[in-house]
Amino acid sequence: MKRSVGAWAVAVLLVFGGCARSEAPVVDATLAGDEPRAGGTLYRRLEVDIASLNPVLATSRYDRIVAVYLFTPLIQLNSELRPAPGLAESWQISADGRTYTFHLNPRATFADGKPVRAADVVFTLRKTADPEVEAQMVAAGFELLDLSKTRALNDHTVQVTFREALASQLVQFHNILVLPEHVYSKGDFRDDFNEIAVGSGPYRLVRIDPGREIVVQRRDDYWGRKPWIETVVLKVVINNVTAWNAAKVGEIDETMIQSDVWLRERNNRDLMPRLEFLRFYGLAYNYIAWNGRNPLFRDKRVRRALGMCLDVRSIIADLYGGTARAMNGHFVPEQWAFNPAVDPLDFNPAGAKDLLATAGWTDSDGDGTLDREGQPFRFVLTIIGGSPQALAIAQSFQGTLKKIGVQAELAVLDGAAAIQRILAGNYEAAYLSWDLDPDPDPYPLFHGSQIPPRGQNFVFYDNPEANRLIEQGRRELKMSKRAEIYQQLHAVLAEDQPYTWVTQPSLKWVINRRVMGVREGKGWGLFLWHPGELDWWLPVPTRGSIPIAARAAELR
Amino acid sequence: MRAYIVRRLIYAVLTFVGITVATFALIHSVPGDPVTLYSGRLHASPAVIEAIRREHHLDEPLPAQYLHWLRGVVSLDFGRSIDNRRPVTAEIVRRLPNTLLLNGLALALAAAIGIPVGLWSARRPGRLLDRATAVTFFLLYSLPSFWVALLLMQWLSVRLGWLPLFGMTGADYELLSGPEKLWDRARHLALPVITLTYGQLAIFARFSRSAAYEVIRQDFITTARAKGVGEGSLLWHHTLRNALLPIITLLGLTVPYLISGSVIVEEIFQWDGIGLLFFDSIRGRDYPVVMALTVVTAMATLLASLVADVLYAVADPRVRVEGRRR
Repeated sequence: MKRSVGAWAVAVLLVFGGCARSEAPVVDATLAGDEPRAGGTLYRRLEVDIASLNPVLATSRYDRIVAVYLFTPLIQLNSELRPAPGLAESWQISADGRTYTFHLNPRATFADGKPVRAADVVFTLRKTADPEVEAQMVAAGFELLDLSKTRALNDHTVQVTFREALASQLVQFHNILVLPEHVYSKGDFRDDFNEIAVGSGPYRLVRIDPGREIVVQRRDDYWGRKPWIETVVLKVVINNVTAWNAAKVGEIDETMIQSDVWLRERNNRDLMPRLEFLRFYGLAYNYIAWNGRNPLFRDKRVRRALGMCLDVRSIIADLYGGTARAMNGHFVPEQWAFNPAVDPLDFNPAGAKDLLATAGWTDSDGDGTLDREGQPFRFVLTIIGGSPQALAIAQSFQGTLKKIGVQAELAVLDGAAAIQRILAGNYEAAYLSWDLDPDPDPYPLFHGSQIPPRGQNFVFYDNPEANRLIEQGRRELKMSKRAEIYQQLHAVLAEDQPYTWVTQPSLKWVINRRVMGVREGKGWGLFLWHPGELDWWLPVPTRGSIPIAARAAELR
Repeated sequence: MRAYIVRRLIYAVLTFVGITVATFALIHSVPGDPVTLYSGRLHASPAVIEAIRREHHLDEPLPAQYLHWLRGVVSLDFGRSIDNRRPVTAEIVRRLPNTLLLNGLALALAAAIGIPVGLWSARRPGRLLDRATAVTFFLLYSLPSFWVALLLMQWLSVRLGWLPLFGMTGADYELLSGPEKLWDRARHLALPVITLTYGQLAIFARFSRSAAYEVIRQDFITTARAKGVGEGSLLWHHTLRNALLPIITLLGLTVPYLISGSVIVEEIFQWDGIGLLFFDSIRGRDYPVVMALTVVTAMATLLASLVADVLYAVADPRVRVEGRRR
């Protein structure tokens, strides 16, 4: 699948763009012969205001965008999203896979000059694992933590033990952004540290202006390799058009852009000298969930037939301008769990009709709608409002289904209303999307034990073979074996079609060409992996009003 | 007069309680609660979901939840946002002046242009000025504000670079002198104020026109004109005073809008106001924020209609007499 779809996507790109950029895995904006230099102010965009500067209380990835500058995680994830040294220089995993021993970098200090101690790591772990702290983003990864056996062995060695051995555990330590106990233990942990930050990261907080901007400045006393850029201003710009305009006039240096802007402006000669357009595939996909408890969708032949009525190729060409991939199965090509031998479903309404007939669905009364035992084939497809793309996809699907005699009704709901119904199993079919974690473990989505309210297996999928593979996959500590298990699982899921997988859309970005050293990491794009944004540099430290802005930042 | 005000005050308190009960019931009857969006995420923690529910009393019956909330409000504590843990009162106090400034200016501008135009057109209905302003204002009224906002931004900020793109102040605001600060704020206000104003011109102009038109046709105006009262004086002293009641009503009705803000304009121009807060809190089912904003808006609306009622009495003696008779 990988090869054929890839070649096809490139072909579409060529039709659209003529001089489309090749899809090299690494996009390096560094000019030949230029040496990185220190200094300058980088202006970044935050799509939403952050919830908290306390990384344990983060509620979205935007909190993390800021936290990367101020805190250092116990381990980093490199451009391949594999574990790399962070605050811990090295680690060992016990033979039973339950105990991790981390050796902290002895030079590491917090922004207040105090050294990072093993006790700080234990403190952060305790806060993370305490449900009362409500660590929304990170708590789930430490539910199996055995606090009685988690302790500081000495000032720079931490032992962390879990009640069960899970292969996905190591990556979770990427979410442990270590807090200094001597600061965060004084006062109310949940209320007093949302607008201040003391971390061991390469930058210190200069100022936070809630709803508007956050300014961080490089630490002179940073213990690791210092980043190049002196000051980073993170501006909250919610509206996408405003952000695009701000990038055009140089008020911000980078922003995500929508597909329409990408298609329209990518070859705009006036912008080319100043803006670079980048595109990459993230760990996310869109899919249609079929409620497995509904008699209509219990038969996998029916689910497959419905999937064959979704014209994914036209959707990609028309709605995404060729900037998305067809999907079939839970894993995306950026993950090592991906199985390249699984092909996407073919668009084949006639074949779908035949397949439905073998499952007992025929138009026996000649009214144009398929029926079985007197029941017409009719269902409601729930979509979440606010996305014109989702609506267009649902409408195209609805049109094709109608031609083969299946009546789909569309119900547009707002996010919370839709999710509440879906998690309660109170839906028939729904067009949704997932953001995936760096570790591919699909346990909460497809294991038979994870039906709501326990997990997010709201398609009520329960296949003994899939269950076995999922259990093996999360316990197998050997990477190559684990990849094999997940590739098998990928094929099983594609065979069973608990979802109709639709597309893996690509993320589009513009970045000002003055920003150098920009590289792409696998699955996460331009930043959040290591070193990512900490390796960017600016060749000319001043630009327009920047000296004043930087001075203003220092003054406040 | 005093009895009239006291009676209006009692009504106001009862209305207030009614509004909070109704809003509370309404927001809780919408499917989903503050943890729904979180619980739909990959790797949501059931223990955390339960902790959030417990902390915010979401696991208790609705009347108990309402009493928890009411207990806080009585001591002027609206609690903390479930989303970002900011104290709700402080958040509103921080944002409200921004929205008031923006919407107040837009309202004042719309009234300052719309009302005189309306009065003037009422004097000669059907004439060129009347028709031209009617067509223009209705045309403006029908233009969607997000479109106008983006168009203005494209031309005045991106192409010509005359006005800032977004935000409330420039990056170097703190370094500016007093007059420079004022100028900086004015430049940032220009586009959002224009966007909020143009659509309201029609409302003010047509409303004051029809109010004045009713008055102008009456005998005492004819008499005044026959006595030789000048046209200007006729309009401002005789007509306006009598046409004031519906205009006061209109102004009173615009107050909630003054406070609740505009989501579209605040989002496009990144204006740190109440509109965005309202929108986000409803979408995230952030009950404490939704309730606090409703209460503030309801109180302002009640206060405004109270003031409007009192102003009626000031403007029209008949209202006072009726009040005394009871």
